[in-house]
Amino acid sequence: MASSLYIHIPFCLTKCDYCDFLSVPFDEAVAKRYLKALKREIRLRGGRTLKTVYIGGGTPTMLSPEAFEDIFKTIRDYFELSPGAEITVEANPGTLDRKKTGALVGLGVNRLSIGVQSFSDAELRMLGRCHTAREALRALKSPAVPNISLDLIYGIPGQTMKSWRQTLKRAIEAGPMHVSAYELTAEADTPFYEALIEGRLDSPPEALVVEMFEYAIEAFGENGLHHYEISNFAHHGFECRHNLNYWRRGEYLGLGAGAHSFEDSRRSKNTGYVFKYIEMLSKGALPVEESVGVSAEDEIKEITFLGLRMTRGINIKKMGFLAKAAGELIEDGLMLLEDEHLRLTRRGLLLSNAVAVSLFEKLELG
Amino acid sequence: MKKESRTKTSKGKNIRNFSIVAHIDHGKSTLADRILEYTGALKGKNRAQVLDTMDLERERGITIKASAVRLNYRARDGEDYVLNLIDTPGHVDFTYEVSRSLASCEGALLVVDAAQGLEAQSFASAYLAIDNDLEIIPVINKIDLPAADPEGVRAQIGEALPVDADEAILTSAKDGTGTEEVLEAIVKKVPPPVGSSRAPLKALIFDSWFDNYRGAVVLVRVFEGTVRPGTKIRFMDSGRDFEVTDTGVFTPEMKPAAGLRAGEVGYITASIKDVSLTSIGDTITGASRPAPEPCKGYKKIKPMVFSGLYPIEMNQYEALKDAMEKLRLNDASFVYEPESSAALGFGFRCGFLGLLHMEIVRERLEREFGLALINTTPTVSYLAKDQKGGVKTIHNPSEWDPKYKQLEEPYVKVVIFVPDKFVGQVLDLCQQRMGTQKEFNYIGNDRIMLVYEMPLSEILWDFYDRLKSFTKGYASMDYEPLGMREADLVKLDILINGKPVDALSLIVHKDKAYYRGRQVVESLRGVIPRQMFEVVIQAALGGKIIARESIRAMRKDVTAKCYGGDITRKRKLLEKQREGKKKMKRVGKVDIPQEAFLSVMKTTG
Repeated sequence: MASSLYIHIPFCLTKCDYCDFLSVPFDEAVAKRYLKALKREIRLRGGRTLKTVYIGGGTPTMLSPEAFEDIFKTIRDYFELSPGAEITVEANPGTLDRKKTGALVGLGVNRLSIGVQSFSDAELRMLGRCHTAREALRALKSPAVPNISLDLIYGIPGQTMKSWRQTLKRAIEAGPMHVSAYELTAEADTPFYEALIEGRLDSPPEALVVEMFEYAIEAFGENGLHHYEISNFAHHGFECRHNLNYWRRGEYLGLGAGAHSFEDSRRSKNTGYVFKYIEMLSKGALPVEESVGVSAEDEIKEITFLGLRMTRGINIKKMGFLAKAAGELIEDGLMLLEDEHLRLTRRGLLLSNAVAVSLFEKLELG
Repeated sequence: MKKESRTKTSKGKNIRNFSIVAHIDHGKSTLADRILEYTGALKGKNRAQVLDTMDLERERGITIKASAVRLNYRARDGEDYVLNLIDTPGHVDFTYEVSRSLASCEGALLVVDAAQGLEAQSFASAYLAIDNDLEIIPVINKIDLPAADPEGVRAQIGEALPVDADEAILTSAKDGTGTEEVLEAIVKKVPPPVGSSRAPLKALIFDSWFDNYRGAVVLVRVFEGTVRPGTKIRFMDSGRDFEVTDTGVFTPEMKPAAGLRAGEVGYITASIKDVSLTSIGDTITGASRPAPEPCKGYKKIKPMVFSGLYPIEMNQYEALKDAMEKLRLNDASFVYEPESSAALGFGFRCGFLGLLHMEIVRERLEREFGLALINTTPTVSYLAKDQKGGVKTIHNPSEWDPKYKQLEEPYVKVVIFVPDKFVGQVLDLCQQRMGTQKEFNYIGNDRIMLVYEMPLSEILWDFYDRLKSFTKGYASMDYEPLGMREADLVKLDILINGKPVDALSLIVHKDKAYYRGRQVVESLRGVIPRQMFEVVIQAALGGKIIARESIRAMRKDVTAKCYGGDITRKRKLLEKQREGKKKMKRVGKVDIPQEAFLSVMKTTG
């Protein structure tokens, strides 16, 4: 049974130009109905003991302290929370104040993931974010939360090495226990993607993006934030347990519109339509839109491409065939076999898709 | 089969056997449709061009296989005539088939577009008809077009061809204008067949294909004698005997007939399993009373272009072999034999009539049999003589040996029609392609007919495309083989990451070798995708590197974010990426896409 719970809050003040996550503009009345439906879904699917809870979005911090209180009360009523459970809420610098932070801590939230993205106002505007560097810095000074993570984005059109170094410096100075640094990805059907296609924006050169990635690994490493997943860095013991569970193929339950679950070798997805979600639950139905079993072959593929995201790699004690298939990739300096783990080298990490496809090929997986 | 349902054999003097020849798009198929409609063979006006039966033919707008239709026509003189329309393939790759179809007729309609005028193919096919002693009826078609200039075209025809242009019929196959005049001209001008139904059987094969139920269906023109179900026949080239199971005609539906007599056109079936015995141009005679000699002009059809076909996945070799056997049942001009390549593994060396034929065969193998194939660099066939006087035919660059002293390559005669304002560029192009000018004639006021002799290898690949692009589409060309001529040739090796890739090597003219080497590595750089390591492409002559290009290693192919909701989607993206790689052939460690093997043929001059 899943011991990780994800809850999706699909509301934002405005949608960022690059974002392809499920979110709709915040509306007080809709949010109220959504919460009611969400609580219903929590009741229907409770009964598990949770080691991690993650409230993501959208912008969860759009919700009022009372709404959070309501959600956490329902979770505690229908689930068991393990002692020391990791409880994360995603926050946007513009929607976080001392009062809200205090309320969240009071409810047991012990980890905040703050969507800073950049410390350059020009880059924040380019990304269509609705906060400024100054607001981001203020949000980071919330002493009450023991574990703060911040999100950064690199590879922004127009971004220079100099501004990236500056952003990294500020981020490190803020003293987070965890950082996620993502390369900006043009997802189809986003305004950012359209701008690239139409030539209104230019992608930064590959060599620059590679340099930014490598520089981040060095800079964080020198400050105790070790690289543990392609885009994630943490002080020892502060790796995100909720996310590690995804990459290790642990089970999880996802509640809310568009949320995904993985239980009993099935991957399922809730409807992505907020109103449909509300309507289905109002009739007492589970809002599941699709549920697909994971075949033995898919399982090996998942173990491979998810496991290789982590710098520790894949434990090959029971997967000797993987190590065998990796022979040529090891020779080429893309992978390493160490401590019974098969992992990607730094060069390999940047080519992880191509390496995974090569392994599928060697293993004769579709 | 009841006797009544069989079509009556026709009287010799009221039979007319004719073909339609034209340059591509001058309206041959449309005119054929009008004729079929007028004579009642085609009912319902919307049936698209019945003579083109293969999907590929219709898609490409060309006729690949010939066909024959028997039409009934009551002429203005009140008599009933049987008209046999023998269709001809419309591409230069199939010139020999065209000539055999024409040899089965007494007359031909030469269709010329009233707006475009004579083109190279009109000229070449008119001469094929003249060579076969056919009565030629010029037809100026598309007179409905605003740009039509029927009188100008009439003058061109009169000037360029030994035919009576004054008698040319003006038609619009689109709206049916002139169809009856065409039919009347066929009746009046095309001579009836001569020949005796009682003489020893002599029937010319002009087409054949394989039918799962009947075996080979052989289309013939009977010149002498009579063939009926039960007749013991002999194929004169192979000497093989069969007993006829059925004879009949196409109306255009297949319809049995009691027999085919001298002058008639129709089909014969005789439970023949091997379609290669029914070679186009061969003569069928009676086994008990054979004709003293076969029909004139039979040639064993020889492939002009050779290329390797390899499965991308090794385990598809057997499937490819089966598919080729099945395909060959329908296409006797496609030949193949097993070969192996160090780079590609096991496959087949195939011979084709030309590049279009090659493309058609590959497309059919891929489409009809679900195979993924690599088509290696096409080559012509060379003759090599060693010092001891031994002669060897080479149709694969890997058979090359530097010890060969005297080499010969196939030459062709190329006929080009071009508006005079573009002639300069065309002369340059022919010069670059080692052409020797044989003729330069004005046709009308502003068009020039050029005749060149050049190596087949020089026109094989992109000559036609370049000709078209230099002349904004106004030039046309046709060619015919001239035989083998001496040549100064070398083998150009292509190395990928230091290893020679046999499937990419080429035989080239010595004085162009450096230039070609540079071109080849440049085009390969353009089509081989980046890999996880650097790819170095080199061209070498006799072990000496003459050109080099490299493809930088791909540095980044990574998904930034992957959490709970992304897993299935990301897996599918990786599977898609894997599918893309499946379409490429792994040579050493390098994935090479199919188009790389053909890009080697591309030139820039």
